[in-house]
Amino acid sequence: MVYKVSIVIPGAEHAGAILNLREMPKVGDRIRVGEMEVEVLEVMDLVPPRGDFHFVHATCKIVEEAKSN
Amino acid sequence: MMNEMIELLKGVEFFDGLTDEELRRVAGICREVRYRKGDLVTTQGEEGEEMYIVREGLVEVTIGESGAAPRTVVNLGTGQVVGEMALVDRGPRSATVRCVTDAVVSAIQRDAFEQLCQSDHRIGMIVYRNLAADLSFKLRHRHLARR
Repeated sequence: MVYKVSIVIPGAEHAGAILNLREMPKVGDRIRVGEMEVEVLEVMDLVPPRGDFHFVHATCKIVEEAKSN
Repeated sequence: MMNEMIELLKGVEFFDGLTDEELRRVAGICREVRYRKGDLVTTQGEEGEEMYIVREGLVEVTIGESGAAPRTVVNLGTGQVVGEMALVDRGPRSATVRCVTDAVVSAIQRDAFEQLCQSDHRIGMIVYRNLAADLSFKLRHRHLARR
């Protein structure tokens, strides 16, 4: 299974991200988004699964900011 | 190498539903491109003849509107597709795509893609359905991100 995840970070100057994960994210999980790490606060199915894919929305908060250039 | 590419394509929603043999044909028109952090993959307003599958890394999609600073609308990671609109409508690039990290992508040229879809209508039907679903998912993400 592939979990296509829409990551949204409320209150942050970040547009969020879409990425594929091999496991369903759970509340408390940490996900690396480029050079940043976020923690999952809430998870829900966005649309019904199709084929080998699940479509998930995760509300997250930043726990490690990306390093500036 | 070909088998590795097929396994990778199985993790891309765009190609969900294709058989291994069909994926082999798709893999045959993919060209690997490596970028460094900060490199541009596409530039808004320019002509585009390729779409890209993010294999490694993260890319940032930004849109500039007249009189306003460009703003990031989404970041796309492994398994996501960018530049697909140019394949569908042949219009100029709707956004600028920049690498947030070093990245590896697979580029698919429009003519090769169209030729493949025309030569095998099953591949064309599945891929275009998935393309619509991918655009829908991106719209849903954008709505949620703007709440």
